Amino acid sequence: MDYDELLSVATAVGESLLENGAEIYRVEESVSRIVGAYGVQEVDVFAIPNCLITTVVRQDGKSLTKIKRILSRGTNLDRVNRLNDLCRRVCRDRPELSQVRRELEEILRRPVYGLAVKTLAYGITAFAFTLFFGGNLWDALCALLFGAAIKQVAFQMEKLHSNAFFVNTVCSALTAALAMLAVRLGLAANMDKMVIGTLMNLVPGVAITNSMRDIIAGDLVAGLTKMTEALLVATAMAVGAGLALSASHLLGGG
Amino acid sequence: MAWLDFALPCLYSFLACVGFCIVYDLRGKVLVLAPLGGSIGWLVYLCTAFTGNDIAQYFLATVAVAVYAEIMARLDKAPVTVYLIVALIPMVPGGGIYYTMEQCILGNMEEFARMGAHTFGIAGALALGILLVSAFTKLLHSFRLRLRREEERRPKEGAK
Repeated sequence: MDYDELLSVATAVGESLLENGAEIYRVEESVSRIVGAYGVQEVDVFAIPNCLITTVVRQDGKSLTKIKRILSRGTNLDRVNRLNDLCRRVCRDRPELSQVRRELEEILRRPVYGLAVKTLAYGITAFAFTLFFGGNLWDALCALLFGAAIKQVAFQMEKLHSNAFFVNTVCSALTAALAMLAVRLGLAANMDKMVIGTLMNLVPGVAITNSMRDIIAGDLVAGLTKMTEALLVATAMAVGAGLALSASHLLGGG
Repeated sequence: MAWLDFALPCLYSFLACVGFCIVYDLRGKVLVLAPLGGSIGWLVYLCTAFTGNDIAQYFLATVAVAVYAEIMARLDKAPVTVYLIVALIPMVPGGGIYYTMEQCILGNMEEFARMGAHTFGIAGALALGILLVSAFTKLLHSFRLRLRREEERRPKEGAK
């Protein structure tokens, strides 16, 4: 039994789960089940949103520990779904470790949507939410463009490793400014609906949902961390839109 | 037409959820099934308007979404959170946050506090809805596990 390889494969699966938006208990349970499937009696896993610690005790009584620092976190629910599948399969069939690693790499190589498709998706979301909140068709069409614009801006800023709080502030200030411009030019009527509809794109849905699920699972530290993240993002959005609105009030026009 | 008042918002929330699915890189049948949860949630919201209390409406809608997510996750053998995250998005009080912020800028502190508390109430209703359904499912799961274990034990005892 190659404990080193087992530990490193199991931790890699856990790391990928954590990086792509799984709940904490899912990460911990997946890692300990994979290790357990290969006959290790004693395994401890501890995860918080930016760190994963795994310890396995070998048959001869020696312990092995691996700490993984999670630096970047995104949301790719397709991967979470596949990794979950992989974990089930590993626990049922106990394949060779090299095969598990191959399948893990295959999952990580699965295609993601390109920037163009995601830009379009932002636009569609903004379009639909503007109508949803009661805007008219012209508002929605303008929001479609704003949604696409903030995706482009966010992408460029993320390339420069700008922090999430700042990205959200800039994007929401931009949205509010564009919406005011559109109303001034007579393209659209309801500024508030356009701003709300477009900004729904930035809503921290994953953080809100997973923080609740973490808390109910007893992972209070992780739950509080994510709730803080959600509150920070919401604050950044309000601050950004607020900045643009007050600037326009100051410049004498509303 | 009255039925359009129900159908259109549900259609919009469906479309918005599809956009979110793409942002979260989902592929295949989930692209339709997860947004369906968003529509169901909003339909429940609209149908419970008789309660006259929108925080209660949000709560009931969240419970509906969470139950839908639990059922779909079991049928599809996928993590609950995949369905839940997408379908809950239309319930997030984006409007509430915006109008609260607007009142703050305009300097109407009374309105700011009132709207802020109301938005917070909606967020609380969402949280409570997720918590309740998730806790109840766990309870149900361990109950079924215990029943199964007892059933396995019974024939052995009979053999003795």
